[in-house]
Amino acid sequence: MAEERSGAAEHTASRRAVLSGASLVAAGIIVGGVGAPAIGSGSRLGDAEVLNFALEMEELQAALYEQALRHAGLTGELAQYARVVGAHERAHVAFLRQTLGSRAKPAPTFDFGEAVTDPDRFAGAARVLEDLGVAALDGQAANLTKPSLAAVATIVSVEARHAAWIRDLLGELPAPTAANPAEGAARVMAAIRRTGYVQGSV
Amino acid sequence: MSDDLARLDRDGALAEALGPLGPATRRRVLRTLAAAGLIGAAGPAAVGGGTAAAATEPQGDIAILNYALTLEYLQSAFYTEVERIGSLTGETARLARIVGGHERAHVRMLLDVLGSRAVAKPTFDFHGATDSQNAFVRTAVAFEDLGVAAYKGQAPRIASPAYLEAALAIHATEARHAAWIRRIAGILPAQSAFDQPASATHVVSVVDSTHFIVGRTQAAGMPGFTG
Repeated sequence: MAEERSGAAEHTASRRAVLSGASLVAAGIIVGGVGAPAIGSGSRLGDAEVLNFALEMEELQAALYEQALRHAGLTGELAQYARVVGAHERAHVAFLRQTLGSRAKPAPTFDFGEAVTDPDRFAGAARVLEDLGVAALDGQAANLTKPSLAAVATIVSVEARHAAWIRDLLGELPAPTAANPAEGAARVMAAIRRTGYVQGSV
Repeated sequence: MSDDLARLDRDGALAEALGPLGPATRRRVLRTLAAAGLIGAAGPAAVGGGTAAAATEPQGDIAILNYALTLEYLQSAFYTEVERIGSLTGETARLARIVGGHERAHVRMLLDVLGSRAVAKPTFDFHGATDSQNAFVRTAVAFEDLGVAAYKGQAPRIASPAYLEAALAIHATEARHAAWIRRIAGILPAQSAFDQPASATHVVSVVDSTHFIVGRTQAAGMPGFTG
């Protein structure tokens, strides 16, 4: 994995191309060919689009934990965290795939680089993705029908627990604010793009 | 959540404070719920039966926000009192200071929204739960997990997008609190892949069974929880 990251410069252009457009379309965030962030501007999308967006977040998280457990030599509570949380993320993926049925998008491919080979980088990556997951799911609440909101709500607080746990392990405040901020889809996708973890379009 | 409380309260200290719901308490809870619009004008089975399905739809966002306000009053009073008494040390004291600040901020947020429609702050007696670190930790775990379930139970019932956004922002913060205090308690911060919601009927019956709320709330003709 580390070797693959040495070609980061080569990857950058394709990452930019993929994530600026194709992946957003794949995640259902851009509809009707409009480049503006549909959700962020208050448009109401169908549950399937939002749940596919959630699915991509969960796939990303699940892959991080799975690969880190295989390659990062995690020990102690950080290893326990990765096992427990990784199992949760897989359950979330399975739940969302079952809910979406044939509408579920295929998983992208990921390249986590040193985040899955170095324990410290893994912990930092997990912190970013868990905080982001909470903000991303809360940011879509108004776009969901009530039954889907009820379902997503059973996931979002678990993500918040994960975020608090990994922050605590890192010596950061588990709950930094009284009101956990939500993020619109465009900002979430930009944050994911900055990580460089998502390699493939779907 | 009763099962959760039983599981978390391994030493039984909190369970000692949880008396069985007597008939008089049930009637008070029922009146409270009906007045707050959280259940219909149902019979005693709504609470006595203890089933989530017995509760009907809340009548509106204001009732839900007042229900949330009462839970936040309870939590903020708990943390404020333990900090005043000074019975905590180390990381637990730090948690109480920071989480208490959040709960007080939640109260202010809800008061800002509700204005004159807000229920009054009840009076509390925590029956020793603020006197020792062990009792505090067990009670805080139960409170925070209950708070997460309570907000989750109401979120899909909130009509206003602005109120929903605020409720979810608090919901996630309560989950962070829960994970933090659970880690301090030496139990898994995230117990399962899916956090289940709790109905208002259930949450009120659990809170009422603690007898932590001793003073009746009364504001704008909407009584809140009772002890």
